Amino acid sequence: MKQSYSIVMHMEETAKALKGTNPKEVVIAISPAFGKALSKTIVQVNHSEVLREIMSGIEEQGGVTRVIRYFETADLAFIGHQAAKLSGSGIGIGIQSRGTTIIHQQDLDPLSNLELFPQSPLITLETYRAIGRNAALYARGENVNPVPVVNDQMARPRYQAIAAILHLKESQEIVQNKLAVDVECTFTISEEEMV
Amino acid sequence: MAEQLIAGIDIGNSSTEVAIVEVRGNEAVFLTEHLVPTTGIKGTVMNCKGVAECLQRAMEKIDKKIEDLSIVRINDAVPVIGDLAMDVISETVITESSMIGHNPDTPGGEGIGIGQTILMEQLVEHATEQQAYIVVVSKQFDYEWVAYQFNKLVEKGIQITGVIVQKDDGVLIHNRLQVKVPIVDEVTMIEKVPIGKKAAIEVAAPGHVIRMLSNPYGLSTVFDLTPYETKQVAPVAKSLVGNRSAVVIRTPEGQIKERKIESGSVLMIGDRSSIKVNITDGADEVMGTYKRIGVLQDVMGEQGTNAGAMLNGLRHNLSEITNQRIEEISITDLLAVDTKIPTSIRGALAGEITMESGVALASMVKTKKTSIQTVAAKLEALVGASVEVGGVEAEMAIMGALTTPGTECPIVILDMGGGSTDAATTDEKGVTRTVHLAGAGDMVTMLINTELSLHDLELAEKIKMYPLGKVQSLYHMQLEDGTYLFSEEPFSPDAFGKVVLREGHEITPLPVRHSMEEIRAIRREAKRKIFVTNAIRALEQVIPTRNIRHISFVVMLGGSALDFEIPEMINDELSKYGIVSGFANIRGTEGPRNAVATGLVLSTLNGCVSER
Repeated sequence: MKQSYSIVMHMEETAKALKGTNPKEVVIAISPAFGKALSKTIVQVNHSEVLREIMSGIEEQGGVTRVIRYFETADLAFIGHQAAKLSGSGIGIGIQSRGTTIIHQQDLDPLSNLELFPQSPLITLETYRAIGRNAALYARGENVNPVPVVNDQMARPRYQAIAAILHLKESQEIVQNKLAVDVECTFTISEEEMV
Repeated sequence: MAEQLIAGIDIGNSSTEVAIVEVRGNEAVFLTEHLVPTTGIKGTVMNCKGVAECLQRAMEKIDKKIEDLSIVRINDAVPVIGDLAMDVISETVITESSMIGHNPDTPGGEGIGIGQTILMEQLVEHATEQQAYIVVVSKQFDYEWVAYQFNKLVEKGIQITGVIVQKDDGVLIHNRLQVKVPIVDEVTMIEKVPIGKKAAIEVAAPGHVIRMLSNPYGLSTVFDLTPYETKQVAPVAKSLVGNRSAVVIRTPEGQIKERKIESGSVLMIGDRSSIKVNITDGADEVMGTYKRIGVLQDVMGEQGTNAGAMLNGLRHNLSEITNQRIEEISITDLLAVDTKIPTSIRGALAGEITMESGVALASMVKTKKTSIQTVAAKLEALVGASVEVGGVEAEMAIMGALTTPGTECPIVILDMGGGSTDAATTDEKGVTRTVHLAGAGDMVTMLINTELSLHDLELAEKIKMYPLGKVQSLYHMQLEDGTYLFSEEPFSPDAFGKVVLREGHEITPLPVRHSMEEIRAIRREAKRKIFVTNAIRALEQVIPTRNIRHISFVVMLGGSALDFEIPEMINDELSKYGIVSGFANIRGTEGPRNAVATGLVLSTLNGCVSER
């Protein structure tokens, strides 16, 4: 007899997202379609796993995560900057459905960033964990070494078309003038027995 | 006498400096000066390129051409050249994996746990209630699942007293446990952890260090050891001192050793006697021997040892540079400095790093008289003005140093450059004495590079030169003296949270994990070990009585006298001997630079100079 298990994420949009006050808090802002109209990244990784890794990275360093959903744009810079502005620590993470991720700080220009991971097909789950970890370290005010970024010139030609389609789907979920909301993420573990 | 333009040129180890003076009748006025990096080894024709460029730039500053120069005077470079070497002299080896002692950023929980090691895979089926367990969790297990299983088993009555984890999951597991236990994570080589053995795990509270496992009697209590066995595990305890978390596993054969590498000895040959000294005895012993043997004639390293390799390497480099045969090279000065070299422990389970002791050597050799005449001839062809070789470098430097307001003969100068520390003195009769010692700015750079494991000499050089800051937010940073600085403009995002170098208004983030205090301590210690030691050594040797209390004034010259803290450190030390010291201000305007170039020009004029 062998035991296996699966971890399932449940997302629920609750109240309007307000400015946080907890200095340990790192806000993750997800894009309009993340985990809803779209459920996987450009390389077919479940959004639930991506989000869970980032949250784990933050928790391991003693940080507290709050997830919000941003409706007004699919532009990563602004999603990330909004996360930072609502974060108690001033540090936020923005993530798009296709997996592109940014670490932002509230005092920066929206088009600037602390760390940017532009090539979504190359971001692994370990990288997402490290992104969460670094965001929490920034929140603690530590001397942070940036997460190593892989670069592949072939990623652009190979994924450009699908990236455009994913971005289009993302854009279709934009709701103008709708304010960001808090998203409650719960993970449940269920055991399956296999013979 | 018609109007003449005279240039004085000082070719140093690392920089070439020029001073230009205009002579009209009995009037002489300093017009300008310039500095460029030296091209090639000093005293070789390679220098001409740098000299020509330096003259060109200087003449541009005063809107004149090189052809307008009537005389160019170059210094007769001192025929000494230095080199550096460094190696570790101790090594920690773990034979049989018996301990993990490392500082993961985030271990879980705190306290001590004792139990038998068991793999996560076997825990569910094989655990019994009679035994306490320390669970070994490899990276294939998710933290959520691990915590879920632990909670279930603990409810059933299984005792779990500690966890060793491969991934960085310590806090995540800890947060999900109903019964809290200490967890050590980021153990990369987890497959090497012995299974089914008695082990102890200890995690200290944040900001504290472990106390039980780093104490030999703590270990003997935990593992029930005899006095003989306690003696054997003492090195284990010692190597865990200062860690926040540790695991010790008792294996019958397991032991850890700190063994001293056969670093060998050096034979120092002096004019009075020759003494063999073991490098493992440390830098103090080496330098003590140096004093006892009189004037150093040569140094030989023991063949087949680190010391031998280091000295041979030095000889080899120097013979290449100077085009002399290896046998002809004799080392005329040696500076040994203790250092700490970060090294990975062999056989470690979690990539542990120890600071092994090492020794850094700087040495100086006399070369054949450099062919300065060849350089002069080549230069003459290149610039078209008549080139003369000026007097002895030290005399020129003294003459230049004496242009500092408030100085007079007799004077002692201390010239701290990149490659060597030189001292010269002249008495009322005009007799000059000089010494050239190994170890200066480049050695400081080497120590900083190694102790911070930068592998980047350029960066180490910058760390040496500029003060530090820690960026706290985009608008303020803490300076290394503890004060805070606000900025009107936001700092660049890549400096956020970083320790940075402050070069004027520019800031450069440092790619290291060390804190600002650690970097500062390493930088200051390196400077103190080399420059303060060498200042004392140089002064002792240059003063005829060999007692530095007989000196009253010391003027510091050279690039390292421009440093923001070295003159102050030397001043501090020399004031204990009642010596007034400070860095020069050549011609009242140039600071500690341009002394030799100024001296070269002045030596042609016999004192008919007025300030510009």
